Amino acid sequence: MKSRLYAGVAAIALVASGAAAQDLMFAPGEGAFSWDSYNAMADATDLSGETVTITGPWTGNEAEKVNAVFDYFEQATGATVNYSGSDSFEQDIVIATQAGSAPNLAVFPQPGLAADMAAQGLLTPLPEGTAEFVAENYAAGQSWVDLGTYADADGNDQLYGLFYRVDLKSLVWYSPDAFAEMGYDIPQSMEELKTLTQQIVDDGGTPWCIGLGSGAATGWPATDWVEDMMLRTQPPAVYDEWVSNERPFNDPAVIGAIDEFGWFARNDAYVDGGAEAVATTDFRDSPAGMFEIPPACYMHRQASFIPAFFPEGTEVGRDVDFFYFPAFEEADLGRPVLGAGTLFAITDPSDATNAMLEFLKLPIAHELWMAQGGFLTAHGGVNLETYASDSERAQGQILADATTFRFDASDLMPGEIGAGAFWTGMVDYVTGASAEDVTQTIQDRWDTLQ
Amino acid sequence: MSPVLQGLLTIIIGVGGCVGYFYASNIILDKVIFPARGPQAGRNINRANKVRPWLFLFPAMFALGLYLVYPVVGSFYRSLFDRLGNNFIGLDNYINLFAEEAFRTAVFNNLLWVLVVPAMATFLGLLVAQLTDRLVWGNFAKSLIFMPMAISFVGASLIWKFVYSANPDIGIINSIRDSMGLEALDPLQVPFWNNFFLMFILVWIQTGFAMVILSAALRGIPEETIEAAIIDGANPFQVFFQIKVPQIMGTIVVVWTTITILVLKVFDIVYTMTGGNFDTDILPSYMMSFMFRDDGRATAVAFVIMLLVLPVMIWNIRQARKEMR
Amino acid sequence: MDNIAGQNQGGKIAVNITVIILVLLWLLPTIGLFVSSFRERDQISNSGWWQAPFSVDLNFRARVAADGARQEGTQYVLEGNLFDDPEIAEAFPEDNGSVSAFGTRAVAPDEFTPGTATELRSGGTLTVQADGSFRLESAEPIDRGPTIYLAAETPPRFTLLNYDTVLNANGMDRAFINTLTVTIPATIIPILIAAFAAYALAWMDFPGRGVLIAAVVGLLVVPLQLALVPLLKLHTDIGIGQSFLGIWLAHTGFGLPLAVYLLRNYMVGLPRDIIEGAKVDGATDFQIFTKIILPLSFPALASFAIFQFLWTWNDLLVAKVFLPSGAESQVMTVKIADDLLGSRGGDWGILATAAFVSIAVPLIVFFTMQRYLVRGLLAGSVK
Repeated sequence: MKSRLYAGVAAIALVASGAAAQDLMFAPGEGAFSWDSYNAMADATDLSGETVTITGPWTGNEAEKVNAVFDYFEQATGATVNYSGSDSFEQDIVIATQAGSAPNLAVFPQPGLAADMAAQGLLTPLPEGTAEFVAENYAAGQSWVDLGTYADADGNDQLYGLFYRVDLKSLVWYSPDAFAEMGYDIPQSMEELKTLTQQIVDDGGTPWCIGLGSGAATGWPATDWVEDMMLRTQPPAVYDEWVSNERPFNDPAVIGAIDEFGWFARNDAYVDGGAEAVATTDFRDSPAGMFEIPPACYMHRQASFIPAFFPEGTEVGRDVDFFYFPAFEEADLGRPVLGAGTLFAITDPSDATNAMLEFLKLPIAHELWMAQGGFLTAHGGVNLETYASDSERAQGQILADATTFRFDASDLMPGEIGAGAFWTGMVDYVTGASAEDVTQTIQDRWDTLQ
Repeated sequence: MSPVLQGLLTIIIGVGGCVGYFYASNIILDKVIFPARGPQAGRNINRANKVRPWLFLFPAMFALGLYLVYPVVGSFYRSLFDRLGNNFIGLDNYINLFAEEAFRTAVFNNLLWVLVVPAMATFLGLLVAQLTDRLVWGNFAKSLIFMPMAISFVGASLIWKFVYSANPDIGIINSIRDSMGLEALDPLQVPFWNNFFLMFILVWIQTGFAMVILSAALRGIPEETIEAAIIDGANPFQVFFQIKVPQIMGTIVVVWTTITILVLKVFDIVYTMTGGNFDTDILPSYMMSFMFRDDGRATAVAFVIMLLVLPVMIWNIRQARKEMR
Repeated sequence: MDNIAGQNQGGKIAVNITVIILVLLWLLPTIGLFVSSFRERDQISNSGWWQAPFSVDLNFRARVAADGARQEGTQYVLEGNLFDDPEIAEAFPEDNGSVSAFGTRAVAPDEFTPGTATELRSGGTLTVQADGSFRLESAEPIDRGPTIYLAAETPPRFTLLNYDTVLNANGMDRAFINTLTVTIPATIIPILIAAFAAYALAWMDFPGRGVLIAAVVGLLVVPLQLALVPLLKLHTDIGIGQSFLGIWLAHTGFGLPLAVYLLRNYMVGLPRDIIEGAKVDGATDFQIFTKIILPLSFPALASFAIFQFLWTWNDLLVAKVFLPSGAESQVMTVKIADDLLGSRGGDWGILATAAFVSIAVPLIVFFTMQRYLVRGLLAGSVK
């Protein structure tokens, strides 16, 4: 009761001081948000006149959403937040640090790049206690600490990255209408998925839409397939060895996973447009086939962000839905889940920057975006009621049900591999090269890095 | 201050400063340091004329030195070091490059580009320039051919997606094949020939450049020479090949060289159309995969590009020498 | 004059036809882009731009709500019109849609002709008329509306939405001014500097001239990408950092070799006697340059100006490196590539529109400069 009253007073204070502030998206104190810790922070922090500059990969719609979250930080602390997003964030941040005009905080979509910059001494370790906080409060906390920990310029491991926003990759999107009309059931195992794939072909349809095209990054969607297949054919330890190259890229385990992907993608009957189309169809256009009448395909395996590229007016849950990309029943590897995420790292430290990181640790920083949609989090303290839709809650559930969670391997490998040789190798593979040759080429490339 | 005013002001300062330099420096040279007056007027004029070339050349040399020579020298030095720039490894970067098959493919493709694109663009440009020369709607036709020049490379790549796409509902080539009952095929995956499909995009863009320059040169040919040839009974083809082409040979070389150089720098087309896949990589796009990651290799690739064009450069330098005599 | 050559009428027609074919070939891809800029993303990825002006047979899905169901005797009846579905209505702004066939499964949207009755899997009989009205009869209460598919001849649809998005994007006006602020000095400064240098290299006599010419030709090939990072470091060290001054200098440096090369080649071709005559008359090099060479070189200056302008106008790479990434100094290419396209990921309609919006200014420049490209001033004086 006391804390309620306290919150109420704080809310009034906020409203009173809010005359000059922007309109906040959700009225303070209302809804299912965790306001208590927010109000406590608002009372304890005053950073009037200070500015936090942030650059990140979010543009347009997503930039609006994250700015709405930052509005609450401004409101609470009086500091100003300047966020600028760029589609080519990876280049921009390298350029900006070279030019000495680095922002306070950078939002990295890939741990690999952050690790590179940490090794060059361009990042500042996160404040003391952050590692403990993440380990305790995030689901599978220690793994998020490990993913954010890199060697500094002297080779000492430090925590640099605080994860904020997670992408779930092990999803298959499908049209509920089409499934219902044809009498198909959601497959519960990889064996069933393969049977369904053949079933659809027997019924005269095309089961999959796969597109690897992405301009200079062509090939990356295939790396997600292979990573998912790795987790479904091999124990997680093998996956980790593969990522660190303790297990060579041309190991039979990797070749096996690639050929599992090939079972789907290299069969002309299984993919819309035939296997040749896979390599050049743009990944953003590839789900479109599911929405055609008659459907050009029935299923599309892609991460949780893909609804942004569905045709205008598509409603998740009605026009399209998803199921967990199932595991092999016989392999008995539980429910492995592949994911990725963005992390905040300090490129130019200041007091206000540390305050922003404190804010990002609060559940409300996550809830505010969850409520706007298109956001999953590993933060264990958030109120799941704030998810914008049931489907996102269900994705959150898949994340929570995972027996194994692994981060996107290509994001963890060195840039030349994970954002280079692996991509082009997969394009070669879908256009006919053998998995043995492709993996050999990638391993050769990796050898030149050492 | 409104952004318009601010922009205008910065423009005036920038351009004005530049004009001011040439004007003021010449006045100072002629009026203050070596005045063409008094007892030493003659000597002063001579002296001033010795200094003046350097006055004219200084800004250009300064900018070239700073913006091109310095990075080139620095980069060559960098190309002798490993990926982090800590260890000197001699020519290992170059040796490793040539050991890689992808690199050899890129070199081979690049040679194709250097041979085909300038030749085709110059030929087509000359053809259009000649054909539209006396045409009533010639200027209009030229403007339309020129239009691709004004489109950014990214826009151009998009345009050609509508031509090359494997989906018969998007790509016009496959739509035509479809209507003829042929199976859809992805032009960008046809081995070897896909290079030519990509090259044609650059030809499409650069023909306008060749046309503009060559048509100006054609107009510059004195009427009398042509009339004389016609009176002597030369047919239009003879007039074109035996009178006009030799007269504008110098300009043709310039156009050819300029396009060759452009070819060696353009990475956008390959980068956006195929990402270098399907054996279509060329050196500039190959280099992009090392940029910001392994500067040692990236700079080594840049030097291979410069080596490729060396013959053209030497030829041009000799040409320039000849003119000077 | 052509008549003197005996060039007959046939020849003229042949020339005209050849040019028409070439122009069409060159124009065709651009027309595709133009048409696409008036279409939405979904349309672009579903049908070719050449089909855009025609009516096409499209399939639709109508989700009928069960609210209107009523009881008629022992039967439960649901009636309505498929064209009332908001998503379908959108495609028929004139309200004149006509059902050519209907179905109950997505795999066969045109299974039945209008007027026929069909059994639903969930029970009941469905009839759809050509005008879109349907009637569902069932012995059971209807608590879930059926999903009905229909095929209908759909009129072409064009939209100005893409232009609205591109032109009214937040900060696009600012980006336009920024682009001009970058482009104009970055075009004029290198021309000015190059013209002086080209004159010196063409007509002034001094030791080391040959070496310098060779150096300029050699520098033509330096790949731009090579210079970006070291120069940015240099700019930062001397305090220019990422700024307009920095980008002018960078564009100047990168454009100079070609400018000097083109202009020198042109100036060398100018008639020697004019210049030597002026020298005999006592004109200084500065006077010769400003009074004689500059006016005579106008076609070359104009053509280089056009190319340098186009190059800086469409440049993305240099702008990204040498200008700060904030909104107040974004140029149009950066704005489009990083902000507009990033958020809409591969929206081809937007890309097409952006390409067309950015093509407008360079084309105006070309048209105004075009008449200076002709070497008319000189024609009489060449021997």
